[in-house]
Amino acid sequence: MADRTAEHTADRHATTRPEPRSARPPARTRTARAGGPGLLGSSAARSLGLVAALALLAGVAMASVLIGYQRFTLEEVQLAYAGYTGSDTDLVIRHLRVPRTLAGILVGAALGVAGVLVQGVTRNPLGDPGLLGINAGAALAAVLAISFFGATALLGYVGFAFVGAALAACVVHTVGSLGPDGSSPVKLALAGAAISALLGSLTSAIVLQDRATLDEYRFWVVGSLVGADSTSVPQALPFLAVGLVLALALARPLNVVALGDDLARSLGTRLWLVRAGSALAVVLLAGTATALAGPIGFVGVAVPHIARALVGPDHRWLLPWSAVLAPLLLLVADIVGRVVVRPEELQVGIVTALIGAPFFILLVRRRKVAGL
Amino acid sequence: MKPSDAWAALRPARTSVRMTALLSALLLVATACGGGAEEGAADPEAADETIANCDVEVPADDPPERVFAAYQPAIETAHALGISDRLVGTAFLDAQVPEEHVDVQAEQEYYPGLPSREELLSHNPDFVLSGFNDTFTEESLGTRASLRELGIESWVPSPLCPSEDGRSDESIDPSTVTMEHIYDDLRDLGALFDAEDRAEEVVADMEATVADVTDTLEGEFGALEEMDEEDRPTVAIARPDDEGFRVAGGPDFSTEIIGLAGGVNAFEDLDGGRNHDASAEDIIERDPDFILVDVCCDAEMTAADAAPDVQAILDDPVLANVTAVEEDQVAEFTFADRSAGLRSAPAVETVAETIHPDLF
Repeated sequence: MADRTAEHTADRHATTRPEPRSARPPARTRTARAGGPGLLGSSAARSLGLVAALALLAGVAMASVLIGYQRFTLEEVQLAYAGYTGSDTDLVIRHLRVPRTLAGILVGAALGVAGVLVQGVTRNPLGDPGLLGINAGAALAAVLAISFFGATALLGYVGFAFVGAALAACVVHTVGSLGPDGSSPVKLALAGAAISALLGSLTSAIVLQDRATLDEYRFWVVGSLVGADSTSVPQALPFLAVGLVLALALARPLNVVALGDDLARSLGTRLWLVRAGSALAVVLLAGTATALAGPIGFVGVAVPHIARALVGPDHRWLLPWSAVLAPLLLLVADIVGRVVVRPEELQVGIVTALIGAPFFILLVRRRKVAGL
Repeated sequence: MKPSDAWAALRPARTSVRMTALLSALLLVATACGGGAEEGAADPEAADETIANCDVEVPADDPPERVFAAYQPAIETAHALGISDRLVGTAFLDAQVPEEHVDVQAEQEYYPGLPSREELLSHNPDFVLSGFNDTFTEESLGTRASLRELGIESWVPSPLCPSEDGRSDESIDPSTVTMEHIYDDLRDLGALFDAEDRAEEVVADMEATVADVTDTLEGEFGALEEMDEEDRPTVAIARPDDEGFRVAGGPDFSTEIIGLAGGVNAFEDLDGGRNHDASAEDIIERDPDFILVDVCCDAEMTAADAAPDVQAILDDPVLANVTAVEEDQVAEFTFADRSAGLRSAPAVETVAETIHPDLF
């Protein structure tokens, strides 16, 4: 009986295979090329998966509000808003936990989406606002604004962060394009790593010059969500919203760019417009994220690859998926950082790399990442 | 250190393995060399007379002539003992020196941060007087043993003795964090520099200041050691930073200062270092009666520079229910005032005035 069923299914597969859009692609294709359709082949699976990921993100966000130095119950969180009495619990939830969680979601989404944009527009699998020096540039500019111009509120230095991000991106691109054969992924990554190291050490130098205790400003060297409070998060929101909308509008043109410059041009795409739009979105997203939480690396490079493994290279799926998966990674990392060395905390920038790296290495080993 | 860099370094896996091997080999060689050198210097000039300081025997038969003073407590000690003319250099003030030393300090060669070992050696000192314990580590000016090889003796405040030469803050013995250890240190340094009389005067002054405070407190509450818990306000020494707050833990000298002032350090249980990170939630849970904001580190600093941070704490919505904030008991303070040294006695007075305003 069992045998016959197996035969029967095999038969059915044999007949349906020629159809181009079968429900699930055979497992073979997803290990074969980066350009493959991904684990979730159909639109239905991708939409359902996205809803599931969103639900998971909501769950993790709730956990991020509940878990920390003290633990809270759902009821306490509800009361903090519905029956506010000004108790310590209410204050901590409203002014620390919720802003920090929102910051995690915003910063995560911004870094994930910025990573997709950079990878898409440069067709560079290592593209990441962190790896291309953009986060380091934003951090250095913000630190300069704080220490030399006395900027204190986020609005005071976010502009500097934009300029820093843009300058760093330009320098990395210029250095990465030197030489007879123009820019290549490896050269860009090398230039990005070198410029990041340079800018990072300048930031450290300024921060150490401040001479209060040495690790007082680690925030600007590693990145952390602790600094986010109930005033900085709303201030960052409009910048991030504009960046995200701009990014989503670029999804279709980026798909065309993925076909190659010549083909894209012949299909009537204005390449410079796509590139300029992407650059603007990346500067807005990565600049604001850095102003809010310091330079957090890894999320921007890893999450787009994870998303690509799941839903394939179509930017219309890749962007929303990255916008959900990246905050998921960041929030989980932040929660872990709060729990493992209690009562002190491990910075989210460190934990993201610790959690994400093994996962990412696995991914890189299974797929040819370079084949973007 | 950035995660993205770490990832980039992972890429050419084989090279990085080789690099790691090479680096660890180099490290091994370096540490092996360091170890050997220190052992060789273990028993140096056999002086007739020595004074023990943190397990190092300092020769006491020949007063040092060329002294480098590193950090606030060391610089102030040198001026107070009347050996300002023997200073070849000073470094790293956390606040303004007291009124009476402003003029002599202005004449000194001054480094805002610790100089490099090479820079230090260029002054050809025969003694390095330090105000903290992180001066004599491999990363800083070098171990005391390594300086002794060059004929340079050294001193670490005994309330901050590290468990062994070359280490720093992570291993302070709490039983040494007492005012007595400061007095002993001053007398020892007086003997070392041939300034015993000045040292005795300074110690007597400090003892009198602390005794005044103790008398007043004991007049009200009975013996200081047996003071009721509820008569002792809890005091947090805290400075806001990017990660929440930087607070003074148990091994910090402020624990002794607050204790003598009739209070208790709200973060007394934190050990393994003088300074710790504390989240706002941690402050809320401990609910200190007073918060002293210890501004640092600049040769021009005064307690008044703490004003913006004091205001920030008072305005922080999260801290609204903390007793110190509710009762408007957040006060300006300086990091220099919580260091072990000459300031410790006046600091006891200042803190007592702040936390027992009815008595002083």
